[in-house]
Amino acid sequence: MSLTALLALADSRLPAGGHAHSGGVEQAISAGLVTDPVSLAGFLRRRVGTAGSVAAGLAAAACAVVGRAVGGGAVAAGAAVPPSVAAALADLDAEADARTPSPAQRAASRQQGRGLLRVGRRAWPHPAWDALPTQPHHAVALGVAAAAAGARPADAAAAAAYLSMSGPATAAQRLLALDPITVAAVTARLSPLVDEVAGAAARAAAGPFGGLDLLPASADPLLDLLAELHVSRKDRFFAS
Amino acid sequence: MPPDHDLDDYVDPYDPGQRRAPDGGPGALRVGIGGPVGSGKTALVAALCRTLGEELDLVVVTNDIYTTEDADFLRRNAVLPDDRIEAVQTGCCPHTAIRDDITANLDAVELLEARHPGVQLVLVESGGDNLTASFSYGLVDVQVFVVDVAGGDKVPRKGGPGVTSADLLVVNKTDLAPFVGADLDVMRRDSDAVRGEKPTLLISLREDPAATDVAAWVRAQVRSRALQSA
Amino acid sequence: MVARAGPGGRTVLPVVRASGQLAVRRTGPVTVHLVATAFGPLGGDDAEVRLVVEPGAVLRVRSVAAAVVLPARGDSPPSAQRVLADVDGDLDLQLEPTVVAARAHHVATVTVRLGAGGELTLSEQVLLGRTGEQPGRWTGTTRVLRDGRPLLHTTLDLGPGAPTWAPPMAPRAYASTTRVRPGPGVGTATGVDAVRLPLPGGWVSTAWGDALDRVARADADLHPGSRPAAQPVLAGVPS
Ligand SMILES: Nc1nc2c(ncn2[C@@H]2O[C@H](COP(=O)(O)OP(=O)(O)OP(=O)(O)O)[C@@H](O)[C@H]2O)c(=O)[nH]1
Ligand SMILES: [Mg+2]
Repeated sequence: MSLTALLALADSRLPAGGHAHSGGVEQAISAGLVTDPVSLAGFLRRRVGTAGSVAAGLAAAACAVVGRAVGGGAVAAGAAVPPSVAAALADLDAEADARTPSPAQRAASRQQGRGLLRVGRRAWPHPAWDALPTQPHHAVALGVAAAAAGARPADAAAAAAYLSMSGPATAAQRLLALDPITVAAVTARLSPLVDEVAGAAARAAAGPFGGLDLLPASADPLLDLLAELHVSRKDRFFAS
Repeated sequence: MPPDHDLDDYVDPYDPGQRRAPDGGPGALRVGIGGPVGSGKTALVAALCRTLGEELDLVVVTNDIYTTEDADFLRRNAVLPDDRIEAVQTGCCPHTAIRDDITANLDAVELLEARHPGVQLVLVESGGDNLTASFSYGLVDVQVFVVDVAGGDKVPRKGGPGVTSADLLVVNKTDLAPFVGADLDVMRRDSDAVRGEKPTLLISLREDPAATDVAAWVRAQVRSRALQSA
Repeated sequence: MVARAGPGGRTVLPVVRASGQLAVRRTGPVTVHLVATAFGPLGGDDAEVRLVVEPGAVLRVRSVAAAVVLPARGDSPPSAQRVLADVDGDLDLQLEPTVVAARAHHVATVTVRLGAGGELTLSEQVLLGRTGEQPGRWTGTTRVLRDGRPLLHTTLDLGPGAPTWAPPMAPRAYASTTRVRPGPGVGTATGVDAVRLPLPGGWVSTAWGDALDRVARADADLHPGSRPAAQPVLAGVPS
């Protein structure tokens, strides 16, 4: 397995479009819910525990689907994936929809999924990219990226959970002009939570029954509400 | 390492220069329009839409910083129909959106190209930034950097990637030179000094709302892309 | 319980079996009430409700009183309630509120498998803690499928010990309604601490806050066609 692949996937410098998404924190700031490092930590905790957990489960499951079918990492040129992979990824995409009832969050996820598909396809060529829909949910694309790059399902879950925190943390840092070192300290303190959420999600995805209904589905109606209020605004820095 | 991830024989099949439209033709020319806040980027885009809109199939992407002001301006002034303009959010970082992570802009360009098959020209206006802003050539084929004389005649001398390496430098608002004590000859000389062979145009959109010279340059670029990849 | 379309729009119930803490009483042409035969549920209890609504049948399921979930003595394990429904007709499942007493943890799961013509109205109301008491914990999962495809799958974990039950959203009261039925699509609507989201062929609304009556009203206000009309999205930021 490739540790470097995991680092690359979780790197905010990977040009997959994440920098324009605040994960709801822009609206939380407008609503006065996030004002300082303490309230930011609370927001990130919610996000990791809900959206992060859901994304981690889906990413791990998608990575496993590809890994089981063709093996991870670089594969011989011309290799193809069986049609069952496209079907399984489509099922995961539908599970992501069901877990993301907010249209604004769905759109944000698919936008970032498409961005990841664009860079992932070129960075880690793999036949599984062709098995994805053109605008996949980000978590599903992330799972495929992890498999293509030679990482494991648990790594895909870790990257998903980490990104659910790092994106909004950076956005809040910019919007509130917080001390970047403070924000780094906040996210460092949340890393045990990220590990725990990622671990639980990866276990659920690897469960003995493998049922899609067992993947995490933690919802946060507050994030749904914030996302819907945000998308209807014209004055905003972030796409979500 | 297995073949696909090997660097030695790495060929990027997506080299923007090799980009093709779905019909196999060369596809649209993508032109970046960058420059500092208020230098006249939107005014230039509007002028190009008016001047070239009849002869070329064109679309516009705007990168506003906080609002959809630029897109709204273009719509309001009916320079282009609504469905030919897309605005993208830049996450507090207009610079990142055109250079470091061009995803949102590529999405917008591809959306417009898909919506208008046969489009020949895509104008991408960056959010107002500073002299260090420049477009990635993964996003645009050529770029125009717009500065104005109101910032003082020192601007070309100060340089920066926009001024020195843009494919076309536009020094706008020459009508204001007398009021701000800017010496246009100095600006011309300094620009030529740092830009070598690359062209610079001194214009006033106030006096020439058709942006005749810039439009001619863009027209030539569109033609040369069509020829080069024919 | 199996509901079958009968003569004259009546629903017949060819199979009704109940045991343990739940009894079923028929109370109308298409309505049954679930009656708890004991206090509780208690920590460690495990109740399962299995519903089948056949094509053309209408089944309305109600309960007679709020369910008060009580902790078992000592280190109380969670209580569980699982509802599994196969619906080719029309299921309307709206039970009285669940009140989760201090120290209790109730895990509620509703899975609805809709066939091609199936319709659903599902509402849930939860109050954490009785008056003057610390809140208990409620973990509720809703999974709705249409022809095997998931339409909605959410788990909400509320109360002490729930990782995301923290300011700015640590409500004592929660209400939610899910509706899937053919008709014009509805968009998003927002209220103060309330939001309605579209589903393929339906919608789901959710409201939260401190007092259950107000929360239930906020939820109902977001139902399409309710008065006052659901506010458009821009209504304002949450308090
Ligand atoms: N006097 C004068 N004013 C001009 C000229 N060109 C543009 N302006 C004015 O300059 C102002 C800014 O022009 P815009 O086109 O909005 O500038 P911009 O570069 O798009 O600005 P941002 O997008 O905010 O960075 C407007 O009020 C224009 O009318 C010119 O040639 N002469
Ligand atoms: Mg502008």
